[in-house]
Amino acid sequence: MGEVVVLAVSAVLLAGFYAAMAYGLGLIYGVLRIVNLAHGGIIMASAYVTWQLFDRFAVDPFAAIPVVLVLFFILGMGIYLGLVRFLPRGPAGAVQSLLLLFGVWLVIRNVVYLLFTGNEQVIHTAYATSSVRILGGSFSATRFAVFGVAVIALIALHLLLTRTYLGKAIRAVAQNPDSCTLAGINVERVYLLTFGLGTALAGLAGVLASTLFAINPSFGAGELLKSFVIIVLGGLGSILGIALGALVLAFAEVFAVYAVPPYLTTAVGFVLLVVVLVLRPGGLFGQRVLR
Amino acid sequence: MTRSPRHSTVLLGVAVLVLAGCVPDRDDNRDSGATTIPDTIVIGSTLPLTGTESKTGGRFKQGYELAVELENADGGIDLGGTKVPVRLNLLDDTTDQAKAVNLAQRLITQDKVNFFLGTYSTAVVEAQSTVAEQNKIPYVNGGGAATSIYAKGFTWVFGTLAPVANLASTEMSWIDQQQAAGKLPKPARVAIVWENTSHGKDFRKGVQDFTAAHSGGYQVVTDESFALDGKDFSAILSRVRAAHADLLMVDAHLPDFITMQRQYLSSDMCSKVLTYGARGTESDARSALGADGVNYILSAVWWNKQLGNAGLNKEFVDKFTAKYGTDPEWYQALGYEAARSLFTAIAQAGTVDKEQVRAKLSALRMDSILPGGTLSYPADKGGQADYPFVVQQNLPDGSSPIIYPADVATGTGVAPNPACKG
Repeated sequence: MGEVVVLAVSAVLLAGFYAAMAYGLGLIYGVLRIVNLAHGGIIMASAYVTWQLFDRFAVDPFAAIPVVLVLFFILGMGIYLGLVRFLPRGPAGAVQSLLLLFGVWLVIRNVVYLLFTGNEQVIHTAYATSSVRILGGSFSATRFAVFGVAVIALIALHLLLTRTYLGKAIRAVAQNPDSCTLAGINVERVYLLTFGLGTALAGLAGVLASTLFAINPSFGAGELLKSFVIIVLGGLGSILGIALGALVLAFAEVFAVYAVPPYLTTAVGFVLLVVVLVLRPGGLFGQRVLR
Repeated sequence: MTRSPRHSTVLLGVAVLVLAGCVPDRDDNRDSGATTIPDTIVIGSTLPLTGTESKTGGRFKQGYELAVELENADGGIDLGGTKVPVRLNLLDDTTDQAKAVNLAQRLITQDKVNFFLGTYSTAVVEAQSTVAEQNKIPYVNGGGAATSIYAKGFTWVFGTLAPVANLASTEMSWIDQQQAAGKLPKPARVAIVWENTSHGKDFRKGVQDFTAAHSGGYQVVTDESFALDGKDFSAILSRVRAAHADLLMVDAHLPDFITMQRQYLSSDMCSKVLTYGARGTESDARSALGADGVNYILSAVWWNKQLGNAGLNKEFVDKFTAKYGTDPEWYQALGYEAARSLFTAIAQAGTVDKEQVRAKLSALRMDSILPGGTLSYPADKGGQADYPFVVQQNLPDGSSPIIYPADVATGTGVAPNPACKG
């Protein structure tokens, strides 16, 4: 029983990181209908920025979050203005967007190789191995902090989408961009801000990743795949669904050790992805439009 | 039916052309290298100089280049009384298996290198060694440790890295000494946690073979594997804790070592003996986990500069430090020894004939900087060198002395971990 509780808490903490990792991908897909293949590269680049801030200026990773958010929001808008806005909308642009953003990922990765080589980089904070005792088990304090940030991001994103004019415009554009144009909403501007916001959220995931894991220029590939699994599980385009999808994936991976060897637990998510796509293509919690 | 004289002439012409094509030209003769002494002995090689393994590839390059430089400083390799300089034709395989294979093919068939020094990392060596075997060219590598490379019946492939199973068995030998001294419980409860790669499987085999051979002394209570680049090891660690393991024997690459050790520490776990295979003493580990986070971790490597107090080791360390301004690590040492063993075999053969050099490599027994002091490529191991590792332990004063084998030890190991309560 004790082991189950410990694993459940571990799964919830892991879900926090997974959710933070997938918000950006889900937001961009929900509004622009683009699978941002550069998502993994942006997570990696952001982790490197955090590492540099820590290594050169002794900025704590969690204190670096505002800087990274602004930086990657601007970067996202730059990618949109320089590249993505030229893509045809709708199904015609789907393949082109995949190729284009995959190219962006390769460029980011090779720039990081060039600047920092392929070596592993790690951030060691004073609290990196501190623990918190809860429900009879000891857990990483950093993982609790990451979970807290992920929950704050979820609440902030939810409030943004439901309580602000911009959020309502984003949701409206996600539902029907043509009608939004007729209603006087500047759809291009919404796309621009959404891409910037999605990139900033990927940047946030990179900050959180840098506090937990060693990073190298190849980091982000696994994160992209898992983010994709999460947004499919949660229902494409649903922010709350993403949080639930992350929870499902984390629980499935952590508790899979009771059914399969631990080295197969990462495959559990992809099995879930196939099953959900076949049985419930709209996601475990139904197809929703951003909210 | 009769043939016209014209037909006969044409057939004769074709036959002459075919026969002419069969006669080896001067280049082919040089390629086989049976009797002629070349102006230069060209060694082909690829290493990951860019890509994910670029740091390690750069280290192997240093080892190869130092060996070539020292050989040429002496005039080159002695081929029956004639000194022939060595030239290294080294290309960047970018840590890519396909590229490593293609470049090896090019070096062997187009550039017609005489011999080959292999690349780094098990997967890439495994792919590249097949090219060497197909083209029947002696291939010596210092970067492929998995026994699967040497279990294919290849006769042209030689590996300087001892099997990873030896890493585990050498660590277990030290543990066995501590147990015999009454410092560890008997039987000791062993948890084996290994990455699901050929590296991890060899490590697991080493622990399993040792515990099976000392069945009264050890009881394997957990045996778990994990996929590379794990994000959460709580389930595995939870099982290790539940099994009340005395010895936690893990094999992991650096990223997983850091993630797992952080979770281990924050879970307030404490094993009497803890190892992550070859991990623990590197500066990256200390900077990632803090000095306290790596205390008393046991690790084993193929070579350590602390071996460099005398003889060949001192000569290597001194010359390396003079050339590069830094201390060598096992990567450079293994690259250096791979190249040196190839040069020794060529000199013993007295020719660049590939078959004769291959035979000399198979029968090689040379003084070495590696633990044990002798390097050979035993046929019963598929051409993979077989020697013990050196075991180190991180101590609270920041040092990581060699604690085993006793004849090369520079410090005394500590067991059980004094940080563990109760």
